Amino acid sequence: MSPRSAVSVRDVKKSFPLNDGTSLEVLDVEQLTLPAGTCTVLRGRSGSGKTTLLNLIAGVTVPSAGTVRVGDTNVFALSEARRDRFRAEQVGYVFQTFNLLSAFSALENVIVAMMFAGAVPKPLQRQRATDLLARLGLSERLGHKPQQLSRGEQQRVAIARALANSPPLILADEPCASLDVRTASEVLAMFLAVCRQDEKTLLLVSHDEAALEGADRIFDMTELNRAEAGRGAA
Amino acid sequence: MTIFTVAFKYLRGRLVASTLTAVSVALGVSLVVASVLLARGIKEGFIAGATDYNLVVGAKGSPTQLVLSVVFRMDLATPNIEYTIYQDLEQDPRVEIAVPVGIGDAYQGFRYVATNGAYFAPFSWRRKTFSLSSGRFFADGPPNDATYEAVLGAKAADSTGLRIGDRFYEGEEMAEYPLTVVGILQPTHSADDRAIFFSLSSYWGMNEVARKMTVKPLTAVLVRPKRMSDLPSLHRELNVAAETQAVLPSGVLLTIFNMMAVAEDVLTMILAIVGVIVLLYVFVSMYSATLERRREIATMRALGARRTTVLGIVLAESCALAAAGGVAGILGGHAVAYLAGSLLARSGLVANPFLFNVLEPAVLGSVILLGTLAGLLPAILAYRTEVAENLAPLS
Repeated sequence: MSPRSAVSVRDVKKSFPLNDGTSLEVLDVEQLTLPAGTCTVLRGRSGSGKTTLLNLIAGVTVPSAGTVRVGDTNVFALSEARRDRFRAEQVGYVFQTFNLLSAFSALENVIVAMMFAGAVPKPLQRQRATDLLARLGLSERLGHKPQQLSRGEQQRVAIARALANSPPLILADEPCASLDVRTASEVLAMFLAVCRQDEKTLLLVSHDEAALEGADRIFDMTELNRAEAGRGAA
Repeated sequence: MTIFTVAFKYLRGRLVASTLTAVSVALGVSLVVASVLLARGIKEGFIAGATDYNLVVGAKGSPTQLVLSVVFRMDLATPNIEYTIYQDLEQDPRVEIAVPVGIGDAYQGFRYVATNGAYFAPFSWRRKTFSLSSGRFFADGPPNDATYEAVLGAKAADSTGLRIGDRFYEGEEMAEYPLTVVGILQPTHSADDRAIFFSLSSYWGMNEVARKMTVKPLTAVLVRPKRMSDLPSLHRELNVAAETQAVLPSGVLLTIFNMMAVAEDVLTMILAIVGVIVLLYVFVSMYSATLERRREIATMRALGARRTTVLGIVLAESCALAAAGGVAGILGGHAVAYLAGSLLARSGLVANPFLFNVLEPAVLGSVILLGTLAGLLPAILAYRTEVAENLAPLS
């Protein structure tokens, strides 16, 4: 792996057991390398393995075979507890449906991510969360619960949460898919700008034109995922 | 922010469900605490109110009724015996002290007790001491020279509002013989607090039938022998006699406690069932809450929360619910015991509902432990939540 590679995926496979005793291979990626500080967009049809690949890189899903390295760390060589800690510190995750914690305010949703990582000292957590939310234009919404925020605002809170621990890698799974076109382009522009400014490595699942235009590299899952290519050929 | 603040926020996020769960715990704990306090309070009330005398001598009949009516003022008075029985006992060389007692009607529910000065005398062997908070003791006049002076027990004075010098009577037919308050006793924490004492001459003077009798009536005689070795012979002789029975109060107390033990066993079973139901309620509440937020748990895990962290959050929630319910239940149990104790006091039973001791920390500790255990399975469910599976976009 090049020293500038933020992510390296090699010979990674993921299959799920079926009820009839066989298994379904959903992912077979020979190689994927993300240079540090770049924005990479993954696109592909539904079920083509985009989310599975993101989950593998995040260490949330365990591969059937292959290695995933984030920075210098072989993610699946770590114990589960250490992988959790690694994910909290090194990976920011933005979900399609925001997945904000409903009982928490916008500010608390950002702080809770810092609590899990423990990387930001407690006395500084509130100020850092406030700064991040202000940067994303949510200064007036700090105390609001998710249900009191618009969908665009919720996604901006989710972006702030992903940035909370200053992780070098941000994974975003169709972050604007559930937003209207105008809001989606606003949020996406803000998201890309922040990631650029902070020199984050961004792996983004998106079909949005603005995302494709702003990307350094674009991968199509039908080409990247040999399992998907095989199904397409069949 | 810690797992405790996260747990607290989740509890607050579903305030109605959390409150209902804590209230159910509180009700269960209240029931247990109130039952234990009352059972213990009643027992201690019986022990504290027990007489210092070794024998209660009264008319033939139920020994329990005799002791309950004469010592605890809880049952109907037994039939009368003749005053001469008291005189004979007073003259008996084996008897150190004999105290006559006549149980009469009541004023506003507070029983009339006729006796003489010996009833209040501070003998060295007595546990119970009588002292006046105000006034003096009634005058002990000869049988035909009734003074109609009354000394009130502390509770009787407090409840009736009678003060020194006040005159009172119960029922128009007694208007001719009003009693005058001459003294009020300090609390003794026994049935005597609820009694209105006066002399035997007043007792006989107030009763039309007794006035005409040449041999005056009594309800009972309290007896203490000079030597304990004389007790069996006195007991036997008075029981063999055609008119009297002699009862050992301690024996009756034992009978009452044995009867209470049966009720306590049944109560313990009921309380155990209540406890199981409350624990099931906590379990169901926490289980459904965990099921509802599996997606949020998966999100926390994706954000880097360890399995043990989400386990700890759910356990902290059930622990907090149990602790809140436990504290409220202990306070509520004391309140219920106080109210029930007040009601029992009207029937003459004195129970102390303010007995805080090892029970409270033991109950609270058990409730927190069991409540936390009730949250263990939901916590394990949270612990085992599959992240990728539960993060799938909602359709």
